[in-house]
Amino acid sequence: MKKKAGTLLVLMIMITLFSLFQPAVKIYVHSQAGEGAGIFPDTISLMNIVTKEAAGLPVETIPALGLMNTGRWILMAGMLFLMIGVVLALGRKKGWIQAALVTTCMALGLLATFMVQLMNLSKSLLFELLLDEIQVWAYVPIVTAVLQILFVLLIMKDCNKLEIGDRVWRKLGGILAIGAILCVLLPTFLIKVPDSVTGIASDAEAMNRSVSILQQMLGNEPSLSEIAAEEGVFRDVLNGDLAELGPYYQDKANVRGIFQVSPSVPSVDLILAGSLVLLVIGAILAFISKADKWFPLAFFTLATILFAASIMNLVIIDDGDMYASAVRQLEYLGLGTVSAVPVVMLLLCLGSTVCSVMSVRTADSPYFVSPIPQKKMLCLVAVLLAVLSLVMVLLPGVEFSFNRPGKSKTVSAVMVSGVQALGFQKSKDVLQPKDSKGNVMYKSSGGGDTELSAAAVEDIMSGLLTEYSIFTWIVVVLICGGILALLKNMDTKIPVTLFVMAFAMRVVTWGILSLQMNRSIGSATAGIGLYISLPLLIFAAFIANFAYEEMLPRKYKLFLLLVPFLVATFLFSYLPLYGWRYALYNYKFGLPMSDQEFVGFKWFTELFRNGGHRTNIIRVLKNTLGMSGLGLLTSWMPMAFAIFLNEVKKEKFKKVVQIATTLPNFISWPLVFSFALAMFSMDTGIFSKFMLSIGAIDEPVAWLNSGNHIWLKMWAWGTWKGLGWGAIMYLAAITGIDQEQYEAAKVDGANRWQQMRHITLPGLIPTFFVLLLLNISNILNNGMDQYLVFQNPMNKNFIEVLDLHVYNITIAAKGTSSLYSLGTAVGILKTLVSIILLFSANKFSRKVRGESIM
Amino acid sequence: MFIKKKERQQNAVLKRENAKKYKMGMGDIAFNIINYLVFIIIMLLCIFPFYYLFINTISSNELVRLGRIQLFPRDIHFENYIQVFKINGILEAFVVSVARTVLGTIWTVGGSAFLGYLMTKQEMWLRKVWYRLILITMYFSAGLIPWFINMKNLGFLDNFWVYVIPGLVSPYNMILVKTFIEGLPPSLEESAMLDGAGYVRSFVSVVMPLIRPILATLCIFSAVGQWNSFTDTMMLMPSGNYQTLQYLLYKYQREAESLATLIRNTQDANAIASAVTKQTSLSVQMTVAMVVTLPILLVYPYFQRYFVKGITIGAVKG
Repeated sequence: MKKKAGTLLVLMIMITLFSLFQPAVKIYVHSQAGEGAGIFPDTISLMNIVTKEAAGLPVETIPALGLMNTGRWILMAGMLFLMIGVVLALGRKKGWIQAALVTTCMALGLLATFMVQLMNLSKSLLFELLLDEIQVWAYVPIVTAVLQILFVLLIMKDCNKLEIGDRVWRKLGGILAIGAILCVLLPTFLIKVPDSVTGIASDAEAMNRSVSILQQMLGNEPSLSEIAAEEGVFRDVLNGDLAELGPYYQDKANVRGIFQVSPSVPSVDLILAGSLVLLVIGAILAFISKADKWFPLAFFTLATILFAASIMNLVIIDDGDMYASAVRQLEYLGLGTVSAVPVVMLLLCLGSTVCSVMSVRTADSPYFVSPIPQKKMLCLVAVLLAVLSLVMVLLPGVEFSFNRPGKSKTVSAVMVSGVQALGFQKSKDVLQPKDSKGNVMYKSSGGGDTELSAAAVEDIMSGLLTEYSIFTWIVVVLICGGILALLKNMDTKIPVTLFVMAFAMRVVTWGILSLQMNRSIGSATAGIGLYISLPLLIFAAFIANFAYEEMLPRKYKLFLLLVPFLVATFLFSYLPLYGWRYALYNYKFGLPMSDQEFVGFKWFTELFRNGGHRTNIIRVLKNTLGMSGLGLLTSWMPMAFAIFLNEVKKEKFKKVVQIATTLPNFISWPLVFSFALAMFSMDTGIFSKFMLSIGAIDEPVAWLNSGNHIWLKMWAWGTWKGLGWGAIMYLAAITGIDQEQYEAAKVDGANRWQQMRHITLPGLIPTFFVLLLLNISNILNNGMDQYLVFQNPMNKNFIEVLDLHVYNITIAAKGTSSLYSLGTAVGILKTLVSIILLFSANKFSRKVRGESIM
Repeated sequence: MFIKKKERQQNAVLKRENAKKYKMGMGDIAFNIINYLVFIIIMLLCIFPFYYLFINTISSNELVRLGRIQLFPRDIHFENYIQVFKINGILEAFVVSVARTVLGTIWTVGGSAFLGYLMTKQEMWLRKVWYRLILITMYFSAGLIPWFINMKNLGFLDNFWVYVIPGLVSPYNMILVKTFIEGLPPSLEESAMLDGAGYVRSFVSVVMPLIRPILATLCIFSAVGQWNSFTDTMMLMPSGNYQTLQYLLYKYQREAESLATLIRNTQDANAIASAVTKQTSLSVQMTVAMVVTLPILLVYPYFQRYFVKGITIGAVKG
């Protein structure tokens, strides 16, 4: 019994997965080659659509799925009422007023819905199946449904142990589940292939017509091609100005249209109605206190999925002019016209699976006794789904195709796999991404005149890049959510929140993309896999959440919680270490690693042999050590500051001093430089005026624009900024000194000086020592912010410290003169020296004080 | 509360009595005077630049250009502050700055708090290994270029999230939080766990409220760091998107300087200065600087004690 059910469940899942790879959709591919131009049918799977093979599809030929009549808005309103009712129903308090509200809302919603249904009844073609040409995709869901129903029946049968009352509930639940499955599946049948392409009209006829139209479009009409060659036209066309296309536009049904839901088929209505029914059932169940809470939840999930499916079709195509805008709308949603059908289908399959699995759940429920070793099974399912979704997210990256209405050509599409896309930049060399074989991926297939302008390409690329980087983060969030969802004791809210975040990001992306697409030609269909993987992941998370009880030992759970942090550490701290290899290449920015020239240890030897580099490095090292040395020499100052401040007995004054002197530490170096500019500028600064007035100088001096005493100046600024801050630690240490020592000293007749010298100072020496050692080990790392802002051509030679030098010769030096590899080599040496210094300081400290400083 | 006040009063009385007991000698008095004087001077040195910049921004730009403003503002006007927000890109930069500060702080503090919390869990699988693995990153860096190219490879170039995301793990913050949590009585969390709360739940509802002081400290540090940072914009935003206020300030300074050099080189200061009508590059630069400083000046006094606390806790661990 249990085994049977388990097998069925697995089968169900398998079929759902299988349907992804199954040749599912029949597509007529417009060939692009000049001589062999024509249309030929091709059957490809959903996976194909998602991946590369489908990339060549002319977007124009596959129109939007679904329509929108005005009547649907009433339905929508009804849905809204229902939703409100359901939310109210789920509320904890179920007083009379609420019940009345719920009932009213539901009644209103139902009324609206039925009105519309009645209106549409005459037109509806409920069970119209596509029997002319049996399509695989049509029966995959059917098989799934049958299996699911069997599954539920099996559970229903296994309720003899229960009390009679409970048995009734269970059977009711089962029936409802079957109903829900049917509801989910029904709209699937209503996707209709228009006659013009398949169906009644013969393929040959459709082909011929399309070919002739295509041929006309492709150049027999000179005026058209001339216009089309100009970019502006495409934009106009995309903006819905289809009149440009003239007579060909009238024949749009042929050029476009593989799947087209004919206006008379109320598929959207049905989807809406289905979700409506589900919502009602869910709400009713939510009202029944005895029902398991997962029950209503299952229905709500389904309803939401369906609702989403109908929202996706929220496109108004009443007349031809709206067609282009509708297509665009879908594209903005990132769905692309190609992907709309499979996504809806998958949602449907998924919905029914959710439904059945959800109804199996509830091991602790008195109504549904688990028929299978549920936890393991469900865990497996969850993991499978999660893995699958991740694979799907990672596999198909970004697909985009250039629309050439008028030419009716898809110029090409680029499928960027996840890893490749991560490296994309807007620089010129990347604007022509290459595939693994080194071919440039933009292939303009028609002829010379289909080349895109560079600006257009860049526009599109930038859109995609924005899309992609956000997309990457969505994936990260999703993965985090998935991992968290796997944890026991995990609040469901957290993964759900993460998923919602992912969705939100998605929405943001849509927004950005749509903004960008408005001014660029072409269209982008990004991350189809994401749409599929999102529900999968959410589903997996749900399953995992309630199935994973006590499956994972605590120690691993803790570890899993840690994983995101480890990943971040790896990405941002350890992965750069791998970049040390750039020192072994003659690294040119922007080129892929395979094109870089390997030079071995050339840069390291160059550093010492090449005269120019060597003098540079010596000079920079001198600056670095000089300025660090000044800092080290005066590192007692904060301590002295603290000791003397401690002698101030007025607490308020002390506090004010502390506040005033730590303030500079919290402003940035550019700000400090602002002060410097204001106060020390040659002609206007107060410092010059002051010096002039007391006669210290005779004429204005360029304080900032000279290399004189620059180390001292830098030191002074550093001290100004850091003195009060550095003292805080000593002040804290002073409070740790035993007050009785002072009392005893006073009794012995020690004066203030003696107290300071013999009690306070020795108390601070350990802290001083530790800080000094740390400073010594940091002698090469004096950062670059300060020196960067103070740097100018006059003082550059004396102010360039190691960090700044590396920056100056690499990122700051634009173009060919930047020495990335040399910079890397210097960085490596610096890190190594620093580490050695740190360890020796640590060892020294251990020897002298018996304590380590790390 | 009341008792504490009383105690404090008593202490003060005791102190006064003590002070009376040990009579001040002449040397002490001289020492005190000099000591106070020195601190007043240091204080003035620290405060004066802020004041000087401020009076420069509200004084007449013409006088500022001529260097007539020294200790007191003249011809006070606030046009600079109104005008500065009309400059293209400043408002945007302000938004970016605020956004990165808020988001970055939440992300960093939340992340390090949770990480520190996790690290207190002895039962974690290979805890010590992970702990060291994270800790050790404090002591080395791969260098600028590998860091830069790594960021580029991760898709962070010209990406707002570069300000936020990489801050997730901060070993120093982790130590602070960990030390703090270890100082708490473990019984509270244990009872929560017994009640069936998971790690996350018990962290959020039991531990978080208890470690609020240290979180406040971290928040301040991280917020100031975010607000002040400009080199990341400079390097990671090659196309000029998502510029922050600090970076704009830096940019204006560069421009102001080149302008100043130009003035000197041409020996025709008036010609150029008259071309720059009312808003001089100097005034713009200074006003932006003031705009950048103001949030810190406003927030700073209230949070000063948290700074002290933070650095003190940090000192314990070294």
